[in-house]
Amino acid sequence: MKWGMVIDLKRCIGCYGCQLSCKAEHGTPPGVFFARVLKCEEGEYPSVRQVFLPVLCNHCEDAPCVDTCPTGASFKWADGTVDVDHDKCVGCRTCMMACPYGQRYYNDGDAHYFPKGTTAYEEKMVVRHQRNVVMKCNFCRDRVQAGKLPACVANCPTTARIFGDLDDPLSEVSRLIKDRGGFPLHPELGTKPSVYYLPP
Amino acid sequence: MTTQTAKYEQLIQDLRVQLRPQREWGEGRGLFLVIGHFLNGIAGGAWLMGLIFDSVAGLSVAFVMAALGGLAHLGFLGRPERFWRMVSRMKSAWISRGFLGLSLFLAGAFLYLVPQLIPAAPWSAGSLIAQTGYVLAFVGMITLIGYMGFVYTASKAIPFWNSPLHPVLYIGHALRGGVAALLVVAAFSAPAGGAEQELLWMWIAVTSTVAVLFAIEMHGAFTSGNEAARGSVRTLLAGSMAVYFYIGTLAVGVAVPAWLVFSGWHSLLHARDFMALIGVASAVGDFFLKYSVIRAGTHLPLWTRLRPQI
Amino acid sequence: MNLPHPEFATTTDDAWVPSACALCYGSCSILAHRVDGVVVKVEGNPDSVVGKGRLCGKGVSGLACHYDPNRLKVPLRRTNPKKGINEDPGWKEISWDEALDEIATVLKRLRADDPRKLLMQRTTTVTASRIPFQTFGTAFGTPNISTSGGGLHCGNGAHLISGIMHASWGIVPDFHYCNYSIYFGASKGHAAGHAANSNMGLSADARARGMKMVVVDPMCNFAAAKASEWVPLRVGTDAALALAMCNVIANELEILDKPYLQAKTNSPYLIGPDKRYVRDPVNEQPLVWDLKENKARPYNEVPSENMALEGKYQVGTVSCQPAFALLREHLKKFTPAWAEEVSTVPAANVRRLATEFATEARVGSTIVIDGVTLPYRPVASIAFRGSQGHMNSAYNFLAADLLNHLVGAADVVGSCLGFNSASLGHPDTNRPYYFPKPGPDGLMTVGMWMGYHTPYPAGEPRMPQKMGLQDLFIMGMTSPFLDSTDQEEFWTKFELPYRPEVLMNFGSNLLLSIANSETVAASLAKYKFMVSFDLYLTETSNFADIVLPDCSYLQSYESRANFPFILSHPAGPGEYSWPIRQAVLPPDGEQRRFTEVLLELSDRVGFRDKLNAAMNMSMNLQAPYQLEGAQKYTHEEICDMDLKCHFGPERGLEWFKEHGLISWKKRPEEVYWRPFADVRVPIYWEFLIPVGEQIAAIAEPRGLKIPREYYEPLPDFLPCLSHCCKKPGFDFSAFYYRDILHTNSYTLENPWLDEAAQLDPYSYAIAINADAARGKGLKDGELVWVETETGRKVKGRIKLTRAIHPEGLGIAACAGHWAEGMPVAKGKGVMFNDLLELDWAHVSPVNLNLDLCVRVKVTSAEQRQ
Ligand SMILES: Nc1nc2c(c(=O)[nH]1)N[C@H]1C(S)=C(S)[C@@H](COP(=O)(O)OP(=O)(O)OC[C@H]3O[C@@H](n4cnc5c(=O)[nH]c(N)nc54)[C@H](O)[C@@H]3O)O[C@H]1N2
Ligand SMILES: Nc1nc2c(c(=O)[nH]1)N[C@H]1C(S)=C(S)[C@@H](COP(=O)(O)OP(=O)(O)OC[C@H]3O[C@@H](n4cnc5c(=O)[nH]c(N)nc54)[C@H](O)[C@@H]3O)O[C@H]1N2
Ligand code: SF4
Ligand code: SF4
Ligand code: SF4
Ligand code: SF4
Ligand code: SF4
Ligand SMILES: [Mo]
Repeated sequence: MKWGMVIDLKRCIGCYGCQLSCKAEHGTPPGVFFARVLKCEEGEYPSVRQVFLPVLCNHCEDAPCVDTCPTGASFKWADGTVDVDHDKCVGCRTCMMACPYGQRYYNDGDAHYFPKGTTAYEEKMVVRHQRNVVMKCNFCRDRVQAGKLPACVANCPTTARIFGDLDDPLSEVSRLIKDRGGFPLHPELGTKPSVYYLPP
Repeated sequence: MTTQTAKYEQLIQDLRVQLRPQREWGEGRGLFLVIGHFLNGIAGGAWLMGLIFDSVAGLSVAFVMAALGGLAHLGFLGRPERFWRMVSRMKSAWISRGFLGLSLFLAGAFLYLVPQLIPAAPWSAGSLIAQTGYVLAFVGMITLIGYMGFVYTASKAIPFWNSPLHPVLYIGHALRGGVAALLVVAAFSAPAGGAEQELLWMWIAVTSTVAVLFAIEMHGAFTSGNEAARGSVRTLLAGSMAVYFYIGTLAVGVAVPAWLVFSGWHSLLHARDFMALIGVASAVGDFFLKYSVIRAGTHLPLWTRLRPQI
Repeated sequence: MNLPHPEFATTTDDAWVPSACALCYGSCSILAHRVDGVVVKVEGNPDSVVGKGRLCGKGVSGLACHYDPNRLKVPLRRTNPKKGINEDPGWKEISWDEALDEIATVLKRLRADDPRKLLMQRTTTVTASRIPFQTFGTAFGTPNISTSGGGLHCGNGAHLISGIMHASWGIVPDFHYCNYSIYFGASKGHAAGHAANSNMGLSADARARGMKMVVVDPMCNFAAAKASEWVPLRVGTDAALALAMCNVIANELEILDKPYLQAKTNSPYLIGPDKRYVRDPVNEQPLVWDLKENKARPYNEVPSENMALEGKYQVGTVSCQPAFALLREHLKKFTPAWAEEVSTVPAANVRRLATEFATEARVGSTIVIDGVTLPYRPVASIAFRGSQGHMNSAYNFLAADLLNHLVGAADVVGSCLGFNSASLGHPDTNRPYYFPKPGPDGLMTVGMWMGYHTPYPAGEPRMPQKMGLQDLFIMGMTSPFLDSTDQEEFWTKFELPYRPEVLMNFGSNLLLSIANSETVAASLAKYKFMVSFDLYLTETSNFADIVLPDCSYLQSYESRANFPFILSHPAGPGEYSWPIRQAVLPPDGEQRRFTEVLLELSDRVGFRDKLNAAMNMSMNLQAPYQLEGAQKYTHEEICDMDLKCHFGPERGLEWFKEHGLISWKKRPEEVYWRPFADVRVPIYWEFLIPVGEQIAAIAEPRGLKIPREYYEPLPDFLPCLSHCCKKPGFDFSAFYYRDILHTNSYTLENPWLDEAAQLDPYSYAIAINADAARGKGLKDGELVWVETETGRKVKGRIKLTRAIHPEGLGIAACAGHWAEGMPVAKGKGVMFNDLLELDWAHVSPVNLNLDLCVRVKVTSAEQRQ
């Protein structure tokens, strides 16, 4: 059993639905994103395209963030999900220097967006996050445990995100990776990501 | 604008750019980490030099530096009250190893030094306790000198640091720091019979080695295919860190002491304050080198070419 | 800080409430998760076909709008009588009673004096405000009911022509079956447009299935990014490209769906030298040439396969030709080489695109869907805001749509579809029922429409009663004269018998969303009294005398969140869903639902009877669910009656509160209604000629020249003012486009969306072609001035991009807020609209659509500092 995600860059339209539904699901503070969407241009005029690249924690099999975390706060579940135990984290941010994908955020900013202070939503959803520790995507562990899909997957308007078991060769994720030439980001780093992309 | 909003706006700015600077280590409270690493480097080096030159004062300086370095580390942590958890990942985390090293060093150095400094101490200099202390401190010292570079090298996000030369460089730094500490100590303590000359030789040797290694590393980073590493070199040599690097590291840390060394070399008798100045300048230079190299850290860009040629 | 609502703040409150989003007019179905009186999440409602359980980025961020501490909580009265952009209104809190008293007094006086002096205006963004505002206005007695930016920007061309040609508000490819689609300035399925979020899924499926997508757009932004081919063109020249493609298809390839043209269009109608139909002297019906009988006969007496499409005929003394023959001849002048000159699209590409489109249309083929054999034309040419936002609004859109009609790709399988032009109703009740039907001359009239007059038959131009002069310029919908610099001149010229005095505004932030703020401010300041229902103190609400704190979508009710289906319900096969909007939270502070406030005002002013009648009409309420006399119903009671009337007595508001929506399967004859409707559509707009003549007959004696080239029955390429600017240095054509992250000017105040937009390379920047910019010595990120010939200018940072036409300058969203009441939005992005002039010279003389492109000069703003 190893959770993984496939993001189909052919379907993805860069709508930011993942970035924002993740924010909504987890009530992440300003400047903290478990999911993001990057935009770039590839090609030369007129054969140029804007290209969208949604990113999130890759839940690396050989996760440098876990290896370098001195406290064990960063750890891996048996299903391959890389997670942070906020009660153990000392906020040394070593993991942030180790994660080659920039998927870790330090929670030391405001817990509210509006200068006027926290809203009722933020009181409930944002303030609860421990401060001065590192946060990141945990493949929506609570949702997945409850049998639901990760928020960004369930919400993606184009169904560009598929979640499943990479260990199961018959799962949709495994099949898509195989059939459509799925690739991870920066494979040369040897981190063995669990998030794959299908070419645009 | 509050510092919080300024920081937030900076973060949003950073997230917009391809070559995103790392700011966690080195900015704001992150400065404590640089200070901590700087002090601990000197501590390791000074202990080694103290042993070589048999200077209790040097050893004491090493102890104090390590203690202050430890405090600086705590000052950096987001959750300092949980510092004790940092030994949990000895198997893979260099910080854990370093933390253990520092603990061993502080404990060992304490046991070893107390009878040396306080004759009325409950245990004597040759006692098992003191000897154990010696061993612990020695192991700690090796760790302190060695681990730090690996902490940076293990940072896969920052290609500039992620170089095999980095650990060697940090060892070089520690030694240079040790020499510097001893030079200062020597300036204030009784002459240790020609030790000054040896120290200066050592300074020259270590400094040259570090300089060569550093040049190789920079060259490697700049010629590597890695955009982030090149970005770091640019930041260091021509960007926001250039001032610190040229003035702090090159001028104060190398040119000034080198000039002092060579201008005073034939006068045979080195004025003690000269020595102290060389030591202090060299240490200041090291601080700025660490500072600027850390601050020049640039994250690996996430974007890889995604679209087959259209 | 707004606290959890005590009403729900128990430890046991944990509910998922089905409702509808209102962050844009898409109104997608949502589930709001409320825990202990706080809404903690908004998700899509998987039971509904509107969004299918998924939401766009704005939809999931709705909470950050709802919980904005800058929301209005109490009614405010202005104390400073002076109105202006830099005037502080001096807001003072007042009670609802005071507010309503004052408003009712003003309205009573006004209604007795001249009810036409009232303008009811609302934002397009909240679809649910349409019926309450329209019915209130109608019952009050004013013809002045407007959707602020509405048609001026999005659709005086798009809605008019979609209505005439497809019986709907807009058009879209049949994502389920289409194989080849061409987008002319529309992002449908990729960022914005009707049913934006639903279409994102459908278009991704279509692309995955292999649908080719050619996107004609000056910028490679959203749809173009996903296109199989991006066709950059000079801004505003779509008609040139589309007409040249039509020419290739009709005259070079001769791939034409003749049976469709014969049976479903006015192609066979005989046209005389006066460009008008040749009519039967007795029954006045247009004549066609019966090839079998070899004589002219009324169109409705000839089997369509016998109707001539070509040839020259003599009917009595009149020599005439079928409309199609004229069209074909007319198209000849639009050669690909000419089109290249105008649009910059290489002639070879024009030919290739035309060939691909026509070939893929598979003219003559059929397919069996649900047991029904239907025409199969898997190509679609669609258009929206981008191509029709010009002086040449109507023809740009018509030319793009003509591609469909040449090959019969209209509302059949795989083709260009109107959004749900037909509904046979829920199987239990057969309601809502509407179907396109034949009107005068056999041409189609819509089954369902959204206000103003139906697009066909066109009304008769007359001396205007409407302040927007739409009863003179009858092809127009939303009018520039509501705010233009020349409004007084036009009102005088056309003897408008009154002057507007009172404005009731719902949301619409026209100071940002219409044109340059100076012009709009001047017209706003003229109202003697203005009431604004709003969420925040927007720039526009700061011109009001009384501001009323409205409830957000999470605090409101609406029985028809996605009805009419012609706007924001996904098209194509599948299901119909009729969801409601319901309150997840009670009002905060003294907020009141605008629907209830309008009802109360009608009581206070004394026209509830009229309002009830208008609602019966507008919602098509039938006994026993008709509103009676002057009886006082609450808004929820009205919703209840609406729902029961449509879905039976057991399915009232309570039932819907629990279930959220009702769904039923669409039938093939609803989705692919064209073969089932005995209607024709005009490939030859004969009726435009009399319209032009009648308008000219009124206007020209009063000194207004009507440029008759805009009233020709066959589409043409007519340049924008910006194409005529030859002033040196003015090298770019500026246009705007919608950001995927923002709805017009509204969501810039949403901090989650604002944050994401700050991270986006384009959202708040001015996009210009990298090479063109470098040629001018401009650097990426440089602060620049963008200046028009008339000296209007805006400042912003440029983003150098390869993904834009060398002459294009693209600015996203509807930005540039300055109000303190919207602190998150304030100062973000670039206010494109400040470059736009608003007067007769800058609108389409036929449908009043504002020209949204403007020639500009770009200079560095950094050197001067
Ligand atoms: N530059 C530029 N200009 C544009 C456009 C563009 O994309 N770019 N789009 C054009 C088009 S097509 C249109 S339709 C117009 C639309 O322009 P507007 O009708 O002005 O629409 P919005 O800017 O979406 O919304 C205006 C305000 O409505 C209020 N509002 C939102 N929800 C509610 C509610 O539930 N109750 C009340 N009372 N108020 C509410 C909010 O204050 C919001 O700021 O803009 C046009 N102008
Ligand atoms: N995310 C989001 N969704 C929305 C809205 C919103 O504000 N944001 N607003 C809603 C409203 S009110 C409306 S009216 C619809 C509008 O929906 P769309 O019509 O899709 O709106 P735009 O993005 O303004 O225009 C579409 C494209 O036209 C291009 N364009 C500009 N000028 C030209 C031209 O001259 N020729 C051609 N071929 N292309 C051109 C633009 O670059 C853009 O890519 O969206 C609705 N949905
Ligand atoms: S939600 Fe889906 S379509 Fe939207 S940006 Fe994320 S992955 Fe792409
Ligand atoms: S910041 Fe926390 S999670 Fe990261 S390395 Fe340090 S202790 Fe581990
Ligand atoms: S992406 Fe980064 S945070 Fe996630 S597992 Fe890999 S290294 Fe760790
Ligand atoms: S899996 Fe969950 S936590 Fe991770 S990016 Fe998606 S929504 Fe966010
Ligand atoms: S498309 Fe419009 S209605 Fe649908 S979720 Fe997005 S903002 Fe809401
Ligand atoms: Mo619109």
